[in-house]
Amino acid sequence: MSSNLEVEPGAASESVLVTTDSFENFDHMSSSLEEIKNLNAIAENDESNVENSNVENFEDLAENVPCNNEDDDFIQSKEWATRSKHVFVLSLAGKPIYSRYGNEDKLAWLFGVMQTLVSFVQSNDDTIRSIHAGDTKFVFLVKKPLILVAVSRTQETVNQLSSQLNYVFNQIASVLTLTRLNKIYEQRQNYDLRRLLAGVERLIDHLLDFSEREPSFTLGAVQCLSLASSVRDNISSAIVGACSKIKNIVFAILLANNKLITLVRMKKYCLHPADLHLIFNLVQASESLKTAESWTPLCLPRFDASGFLYGHVSYLSEDCQACLLLLTVERDVFFTLSEAKQRIVEKLRRNNCLEAINESLNATEETCIVAGFPELRHYLYKCKSTAQFYQPSLSPPYTKYHERLTNLYKRAHQLLHCSTRPLKLLFEKSSNEAILAWDTRGFELYVVFEPLVDTNSAINSVGRLLNWIKKREEKLFHLNAPTF
Amino acid sequence: MDVELRNFFIFNSQFGPKEGEELKKILYYYPITDNADVQIKNVGLVEGIIQFTGTFKPSTPVNSLHTQKMRQLYFQPEKNFWIVMTLNLPIVAKGKDSSNQTEYLEDDVQDNVYEAVLKQAYNTYRLFWGTFEHSIENHDIGTLKTRLEHFYKAYLKTLKLAHADILNVFCGIQYLPLDKLTFLRVQCFINCLECTYPEIEYTAFLYNDHLIWSGLEPKDMKIVYQYLIGTLLPANMETELQGGSMPRNSLSPFAALHHGRFITGPTNLKTAKTVGKIPKVFLFASGKGVSCHLVVYRALSATVCLFMKVDKELSLQLFKDMDEYVSPKLTTIVSDISEYCSKQVITPSNVPENSPRFIYFNKLNLAYKSTAHLDNKQSGNIACTKESLKIMADMNNKRGLLGHSSEMIVKTMNDYWVVAKNSNSREFYVALQQKNASLIDISEEVKKLCDTELKGIFFHPL
Repeated sequence: MSSNLEVEPGAASESVLVTTDSFENFDHMSSSLEEIKNLNAIAENDESNVENSNVENFEDLAENVPCNNEDDDFIQSKEWATRSKHVFVLSLAGKPIYSRYGNEDKLAWLFGVMQTLVSFVQSNDDTIRSIHAGDTKFVFLVKKPLILVAVSRTQETVNQLSSQLNYVFNQIASVLTLTRLNKIYEQRQNYDLRRLLAGVERLIDHLLDFSEREPSFTLGAVQCLSLASSVRDNISSAIVGACSKIKNIVFAILLANNKLITLVRMKKYCLHPADLHLIFNLVQASESLKTAESWTPLCLPRFDASGFLYGHVSYLSEDCQACLLLLTVERDVFFTLSEAKQRIVEKLRRNNCLEAINESLNATEETCIVAGFPELRHYLYKCKSTAQFYQPSLSPPYTKYHERLTNLYKRAHQLLHCSTRPLKLLFEKSSNEAILAWDTRGFELYVVFEPLVDTNSAINSVGRLLNWIKKREEKLFHLNAPTF
Repeated sequence: MDVELRNFFIFNSQFGPKEGEELKKILYYYPITDNADVQIKNVGLVEGIIQFTGTFKPSTPVNSLHTQKMRQLYFQPEKNFWIVMTLNLPIVAKGKDSSNQTEYLEDDVQDNVYEAVLKQAYNTYRLFWGTFEHSIENHDIGTLKTRLEHFYKAYLKTLKLAHADILNVFCGIQYLPLDKLTFLRVQCFINCLECTYPEIEYTAFLYNDHLIWSGLEPKDMKIVYQYLIGTLLPANMETELQGGSMPRNSLSPFAALHHGRFITGPTNLKTAKTVGKIPKVFLFASGKGVSCHLVVYRALSATVCLFMKVDKELSLQLFKDMDEYVSPKLTTIVSDISEYCSKQVITPSNVPENSPRFIYFNKLNLAYKSTAHLDNKQSGNIACTKESLKIMADMNNKRGLLGHSSEMIVKTMNDYWVVAKNSNSREFYVALQQKNASLIDISEEVKKLCDTELKGIFFHPL
């Protein structure tokens, strides 16, 4: 199977995103906040002192949370036990922190058992990874100072579940910073972390739903809002124009409807897709952001897990529901950034960019049939060098069986990326559908066909599809990597 | 370093429910070098895992535990009885320099393959001793422990863990296809034999490693077959090759006509004073254990297994009679079969190199055929890469997700291809080592292979 394209669609010489696969070691950070601060020679007191000073003041008063007797025996309830995916977070000492379903305090014994299993295996100088029982997988992720456990009946593999747990860990780190998380447990092994995570439960809940549904998590990539390249450039330059004079802005991110519009970055710094997913999650999960400008500390664990960036977060305007995040290392420049935002909006309004964004938001992507590929049902195209992907709109039968499609993609992705037996190509036919998954140096492609497709026409379609994407790459992908 | 057995134990938590009595739970434990504390700890972990997983009401009891360094497989063959097998994962040195970094290959140990190995370990025990419950009901726990000790001490030594693969998952039977006439001769011989000797409950007929006829249910036959092919026949082949009991160089002109002998029971009828030790086997296809004597007769390349009723006394005279009856008839049948085979059968070793290798399995009659394996001794003597066999086992494991009929073609990083077709309870796997082939070439090639090798076998068109 060869395509006559010289460069894969969507490729760019420079990427706004760190381009790596999603299953690699998450501990590696790409950047250092210290570096940015020092670079700009701004003297500042060590902020971590301020951040951590009040940990000791917390007393374990909330030890005994009042119980509701009515759900005393929900643990016995079949409904609780057979949920499709449980997620638990606990401290190394076995203290409950989070449970996706049910009250953690009622499940204290269960958290105890999980902690025991982990430490038992650890006592043999080993690490527990997973337990398998029929349709159910139990996946453990021991990531100091926390233990994360998923109990899943979905078809996702251990690696995929593990990656989701990693996201949960990163979500917690993003609220507290990893440094602070570690410090808390160094000081008090038995600390009840929930008191610091008020409101974060909601983010984790949303993150789990989000990561189960969205191909971006499987692919380790983001999708861009389709925009003419001139419009996208105009937007980027409006942002650059308004922010270039302001010191220490690291990233400006404009997104809408779970898609990236543009990302402007400080020279030398890139954002990891996993961090961007957390930002998408934050925006999606927080209705309150729609009503007011806000100022929020935010740790991006893959960028630098040790400290906070500060974000000015706001929607562009009443009539354009795109969300702008201006991330800086300065803790008190809300008003400066607020003014910058106003300038950006004005500029965008003058250039008719708001209209363009709205237009694209209101128009759905073409389905395969509309685009002239009647034998195709759906596809995912990921350009590896930019960590961006494109997918068409859902068409039947997946408008009804979306989950089946998601599972199909997840399975194909796992087969291609299995750590010991990776594959270059997969062509799989069942009575429901056929899928062709292809991993090359430049891109990954997952195409779903009608079940009776033969190899010849499948390959033909793939060739045509790549050309089709290539022709539209400027619209579908964010090809320039603008900097301040 | 290859995968290796760390421990293997059988326990029943009901036998030592009180604290301090934990050792009573353990019915068998390997290796004996693990002291009582270690044994109790290991059983404790399994009990914890069984309980923990049970909380979430999974569709089956727990199957396996994966850790960074080991794999533990669980099997509950009878209520409250658990068999546990722990494997050390294979390791490779990581990084080029000689630093002590090692990597544990988790995905190299496939659950479905080693679950099959574990089940086989129980089924083979049960073939000779019946269920665990059976021993306890008819005797006591002590007897059960002795039997387990006796059986597994020898059995575990014969495990070939490093070469376990998709064939273990199938646990299938190789049949020998014959022309109608030859097959009828075999059938006729068996019918006559069973009529003449009503003590015979069932009969099975093998030629080399291939089954021609079996009166047993496939479920039982596959366990007997694995025992015959894996243990009994190879052991006898060796004595035959060493010129042990076959009167090859006999000067008597009549001896040449008499080729057969019993390999269980009185192995040398001329000198035998008693019938000797005849193994008893338990058959379970009917739902409850039925025991039979297993008498095996071998002549040239043919093996006749006679499953005799246990309530009938087996006398030395009976064996002598049977030998007289069977030997001449069998000799002519075997020569018919071997003549037919010499015309037909291509053995895997004379297939040209680099031609596609395939494995076929039919779930309905448990028949399998493999040109990917050069023998069926599980010795690692294979004609395709080890990786392709692993990919096949992966595909076998995932096939449930694809419904009743499916087809899968994959290309590996080393540019070879593996294809799986699954339809109508048949599974067909092909490994192709054609470097510059395209997807289209490969699907053509497989189509051709299906036409020549699986003629007449119904595959849903896909």
